[in-house]
Amino acid sequence: MSQATTACPECDGRVRTDGTETVCSDCGLVVSADRVDRGPEWRSFADDDTDPRRTGAPLTRSRHDRGLSTEIGYTRVKGRKRRQWARMRRQHTRARISSKRERNQVYGFTEIRRLTSVHSLSEQVRDQACSLFDSAQEEDLLRGRSIEGFAAAAVYAACRIAGISRTRAELLAEAKADENELDAAYDAMNRDLGLPVGPIDPVEYLPRFVSDLDLSAAVERDARAHLETARDRGLTNGRNPGGVAAACVYAAARDNGEECTQADAADAADVTPVTLRNSYTDLRE
Amino acid sequence: MDRQIRREVSREYFSQERLAEHHFRSFNNFLDRGMQDVVDEKETIDTDIGDKEGQEPVYVELGDVRITTPRVREADGSEELLYPQEARLRNITYAAPVFMEMKIIRGGEEEPETVVDQTETKVGRMPIMVGSNKCNISGFSDDDLVQIGEDPVDPGGYFIVNGSERVLMTSEDLAPNKILAEYDSKYGDEIQVAKTFSQRRGYRALVLCERNREGLLEVSFPSVSGSVNFVTLVRALGLESDEEIVHRVSDDPEIVKFMLENLEEADVQSEEEAIETLGERVASGQGKNYQLKRANYVIDRYLLPHLHEDGVEEEETRSNKAYYLCRMAEACFELALDRREADDKDHYANKRLKVSGDLMKDLFRTALNKLARDVKYQLERANMRNRQLTVNTVVRSDVLTERLEHPIATGNWVGGRSGVSQLVDRTDYMGVLSHLRRLRSPLSRSQPHFEARDLHATQWGRICPSETPEGPNCGLVKNFAQAMELSQNIEDEQGLKRELASMGVEGIPGIEGVDRASADD
Repeated sequence: MSQATTACPECDGRVRTDGTETVCSDCGLVVSADRVDRGPEWRSFADDDTDPRRTGAPLTRSRHDRGLSTEIGYTRVKGRKRRQWARMRRQHTRARISSKRERNQVYGFTEIRRLTSVHSLSEQVRDQACSLFDSAQEEDLLRGRSIEGFAAAAVYAACRIAGISRTRAELLAEAKADENELDAAYDAMNRDLGLPVGPIDPVEYLPRFVSDLDLSAAVERDARAHLETARDRGLTNGRNPGGVAAACVYAAARDNGEECTQADAADAADVTPVTLRNSYTDLRE
Repeated sequence: MDRQIRREVSREYFSQERLAEHHFRSFNNFLDRGMQDVVDEKETIDTDIGDKEGQEPVYVELGDVRITTPRVREADGSEELLYPQEARLRNITYAAPVFMEMKIIRGGEEEPETVVDQTETKVGRMPIMVGSNKCNISGFSDDDLVQIGEDPVDPGGYFIVNGSERVLMTSEDLAPNKILAEYDSKYGDEIQVAKTFSQRRGYRALVLCERNREGLLEVSFPSVSGSVNFVTLVRALGLESDEEIVHRVSDDPEIVKFMLENLEEADVQSEEEAIETLGERVASGQGKNYQLKRANYVIDRYLLPHLHEDGVEEEETRSNKAYYLCRMAEACFELALDRREADDKDHYANKRLKVSGDLMKDLFRTALNKLARDVKYQLERANMRNRQLTVNTVVRSDVLTERLEHPIATGNWVGGRSGVSQLVDRTDYMGVLSHLRRLRSPLSRSQPHFEARDLHATQWGRICPSETPEGPNCGLVKNFAQAMELSQNIEDEQGLKRELASMGVEGIPGIEGVDRASADD
């Protein structure tokens, strides 16, 4: 697209990109048209049995070689040739990783991929986490700390940067790293890489807590309103954001008459019921 | 019947659910039993941990597999039920999480086996057929469907991957586990061949028994290059004496004459000798012991795998295999003596249809193998780094998901077949219906294959005689007849055999176990 248009110049309606055209969904004005095919590069073959694509997958940050490696295929050959190919294949896979650092990176990236897939995080978050891991290696932060810790910390940081924070407990439940490793790695990254992260907005936790506790959309809406007032009254300052979010969910659930105990809500946020109660009483004042 | 009544009957017959019924039945079957069967086949994931000294071996035991209904995980982490229309509009995949019970077990060498960790973990996501049992809209009334934005007359029967609707084309394959006798030519001479595609658990092996121009029988099967003398192979399977072999093949005097020629030329006389000869073929240049081991392995593993059965030792099926080979020999001779005609490959009795559930089973099997390999690698890695081994940290759920979604999205199925999944033809309503009831022959469209394209008399009532495309696909792409019913494979083979035995079907005399009769599919 020539540029990302957000509103219709005629009526300020919402625009929608559909194929090659950007159209206003209110008045129907074609804001911009773009005939460039942005799909994978291809050329036409008369034989449509073959894949018309000319290039491979795009480069990705989430692989140590940017996804550029080649593989020796498995065409049917016999006897001596087959043995020769097998040897070549083995050497080829060995040559793919050249240094200890690269080997560590492969291991770290595998762990990052695993974590992001378990949490169904987007590709952008995964790539961001991978490049954070790469930068940490570049800065020599991994010396004396664990790879697993950095992988988990990179995912944690990438989530915070993307504004979809996960709690430490949520990540640790699936991660290979333990709490100390994650903390050490995150501290080091935050200190030396200058991560662009501020305090966590409790709103980021709301949808997840609500769905974990099996509450309705109305509860989520009310909880948002509660958070708004809490923020206006300065109640979020200096408090565990998870605790505040859980308190708002709990309050909203009570208002809506849905079942949710303090213990359940606190459990979802991985805080003690006391933390939740403090925020809750302040909220009710 | 007058037209009015006929119309009523077919309207009743084609009440909504029947249009894609074959897809639903097949896929539901896969969800209910097929998935668990594949997991049970796999049973365990073995690792190389413990090969080194001072370490106890570790393996993973696979347990029950469970699948929920489709749901979507949002970026903010909340999880909601997903309905087909939302999947279409948001360009996401209509897939349900799959959970599996896994047990990491360490020990067995010196220490007793102990369970290190045991949990039910999410192993990936399985695309769900719209309208199947695990679909979120199954059992909804028309009003409910309209309420959530679904089309109440949509037939279902397809998958939604990355927002595009995909049907799995039913494919028409040659029936496995059946003897097909036919003529072939080799070096200008006409020879007789009996063929069997022996298939069991996704492993497919072609066994050929041919009568060459000298009148000698030769058998070829996977893992043995070239062919093996028939008599040698049968002797290796435990059928030793001349009399027994001849008697097993046929009592027909002319065939007996042919058989005696074969026995005269035989170069081995005993089972032992036969296995030795076979060992020299499958592992030439290796040590004697290894040759014997390899020969036994090849016989029990690659020869006629469909005669194996759950709970029966592999060696015990050898006599069945010998008997089966004799049946193939008989077919060759009968063909040579003009006692029978060559089997008709285009006869519909010799065809089997692979519907979506069967295709998904193939896919799930390879995806699970890939996952198992990954789990093995992760376990070895974690063990090497002295980490606690837990189920949750060694399973990467994207491995399975990718392997399941990618073939459906592109149509490139396992086993190198392409075009298996196709974009649903939404030109009009009839287009959709026709597309769901279409079937494809795996034969190449660039070759003539005149016989395969012809309308065969046995297609009566099964395949529409007139609906087929013009051009290169003519006769290779077919459509179901209106009232076609697709029968399914039997669930419980043992039960079937017991039932047959109770109805008076007798097993082969001389082979113990009445219910282990020749498995002619």
